[in-house]
Amino acid sequence: MRVLIVEDDPVLADGLTRSLRQADYAVDCVHDGGEADHVLATQSYDLVILDLGLPKLDGFEVLRRLRRRGSKVPVLMLTARDSLQDRVRGLDLGADDYLAKPFDLPELEARVRALVRRGQSGGSAALTHGALTLDVAGRRATLNGDPLDLSARELGVLEVLMMRSGRVVGKEQLAEQLYGWDEEVGANAIEVYVHRLRRKLEPVGVSIRTIRGLGYLLEKESNG
Amino acid sequence: MAKSGTLRRQLLAWLAGPLIVMWSISTMVDYDIAKRFVNFAYDRALLDAALDIGRQVKVLNGRIYVDLPEVAVKMLQTRESGKVFYLVTGPKNEYITGEPDLPQTPHPESGRTNYYDDEYLGRPVRVVTLQLPVETGKDRGYVTVQVVEDRAPRAEFAGLILLRMMLPQVALVLLAGILVWYAIGRGLVPLSVLRSEIESRSHRDLSALSEEQVPQEVRPLIRAMNGLLQRLSKTLAAQQRFIADAAHQLRTPMAGIKTQTELALRQAPPDESQATLRQLNTATEQTIRLINQLLSLARAEPAAERAHTGERVDLTELARDAAADWVPRALARQIDLGLDSTQAPATMEGDAFLLREMLNNLLDNAIRYTQTGGQVTVRVAVDIQNITLTVEDNGPGIPESERERVFERFYRVLGTGVEGCGLGLAIVHEIAQRHNAEVALGPRAGGSGTVIKVTFPLTP
Repeated sequence: MRVLIVEDDPVLADGLTRSLRQADYAVDCVHDGGEADHVLATQSYDLVILDLGLPKLDGFEVLRRLRRRGSKVPVLMLTARDSLQDRVRGLDLGADDYLAKPFDLPELEARVRALVRRGQSGGSAALTHGALTLDVAGRRATLNGDPLDLSARELGVLEVLMMRSGRVVGKEQLAEQLYGWDEEVGANAIEVYVHRLRRKLEPVGVSIRTIRGLGYLLEKESNG
Repeated sequence: MAKSGTLRRQLLAWLAGPLIVMWSISTMVDYDIAKRFVNFAYDRALLDAALDIGRQVKVLNGRIYVDLPEVAVKMLQTRESGKVFYLVTGPKNEYITGEPDLPQTPHPESGRTNYYDDEYLGRPVRVVTLQLPVETGKDRGYVTVQVVEDRAPRAEFAGLILLRMMLPQVALVLLAGILVWYAIGRGLVPLSVLRSEIESRSHRDLSALSEEQVPQEVRPLIRAMNGLLQRLSKTLAAQQRFIADAAHQLRTPMAGIKTQTELALRQAPPDESQATLRQLNTATEQTIRLINQLLSLARAEPAAERAHTGERVDLTELARDAAADWVPRALARQIDLGLDSTQAPATMEGDAFLLREMLNNLLDNAIRYTQTGGQVTVRVAVDIQNITLTVEDNGPGIPESERERVFERFYRVLGTGVEGCGLGLAIVHEIAQRHNAEVALGPRAGGSGTVIKVTFPLTP
């Protein structure tokens, strides 16, 4: 896995480089926009971490030129500015994700993993959560390789929860997800599916927490 | 009122001086006129008396005498305007009848009627002399009839007339004074309107004052003030920009420090250096939070250029998103964070970005200061007039004596044992003010804890 880091701050660039190298990525690092543009034009990478505020050529321009050349390499933008316009502009220009400085290292690593995986599989992959694996395309879930007996709607709920593992998923988001199967899914129905899922998953240490007034959360592996 | 009061008094003094001088002159002229008319009328009456006497002058056997009946004499002595004295003398100045001691007329014989002032018995008197031609057998000449009356009643009467004339004038002057007082007051209304506008302004409103309803004379003052306000808001905006730029500039190096610290923390053996690195990491996180809060504050300040307070935002949705974002951090501290709101949207006009910042700061504070295992609840309620956002925790609560001060910048409640920089509630306060909202902080009903309530008025 080759990753290019484009960051002009030497301390941050060094930190990122070392962190990703520890995770077994092959990392190149450049410190200005002009150099980044040159390197990206001549070599291929699996991921680019691109700072927006760069000397010589700013990140937006580097990104625009990259996409104009037809490259589909995933790009994670980094910026010190958190204005919505910058974010929208970056995503419009073809960035795949966005992270505001300063960030938590695990957060960056998680995003990098997700982007690399997406780049490889084109978006559809198996979701894993501890011993639990969900084959999104095949629509079946396994626990330590053993198939779990889940209905289509229960799978739908589990998929959304696993995609946003560790984060809150609202009942209406779940309802939206199930809309394809059911004409109308009420909040009560969602509660029923979650209840059934819990019964099947709790014995194996996967817990779905109810967050008052907000929805559900699939607890992180470390917590569960 | 003190300022306009002196202006009013000054103007009134300027008006009153000339008015009193003019009134005095007018009084003198009036008195003169009154005296003339009174004299004229009294003189005519006196002349009548003289003529009455003159008609009774008769010649018998070459001797001139006056046949004045008793009744006529009585009448002369009991006139309304005082007793009349008379003297009739012949052509050679010989005494015929009347008071012999009346002063001699200074007018030579001419056949004319003369009026003049004189003195008799020590009193000022008015005299009429009438000269009537007579013929005794051998001589032709004039009989002089001299009639005298006291001048005092005239003066009295003239005084009376003057008084009658003056009274309406006094009323007129007083009325003019009152009218001027009132008119000045009316004229100064725009000034006091302006004053109350400036007084009621919040310190964050640096927009120009309206010139429209202000008299021409006051406009230069308004313009000068507007100029000052403009310079002030430019300076403030520059300051805000500086803080925002500085905060932005600090983010990249802080990201570097944080990344390096986290990296080192992973590799360090569990000994002293690990503890040092953990302290370093905490300090870095605190500094980052301070930088972010300074940036929020700079954005929320009135001088900041961004102001999208006109957007339609759904506070329930914002609260749901913000609370959902904070759930992982709340769970990490085993705090039960939840939302309690109606399904109905709480739509209002506001700046979604700033409102989100407000929610973040409220939640950050609540989670930070609530003990492990505690509970934090966000509520959004809508009624006809207001949208109310409440964040309630069952933490230790804020002592009553500190409740006002926690909204001050960099103020921190002591003894909480929690790292913080004391900007969170200042930001909340600033953003609330930006939305004309009220922030109230109180204890939780039924137990320890804090309730922060932000009330947004719904503008129809």
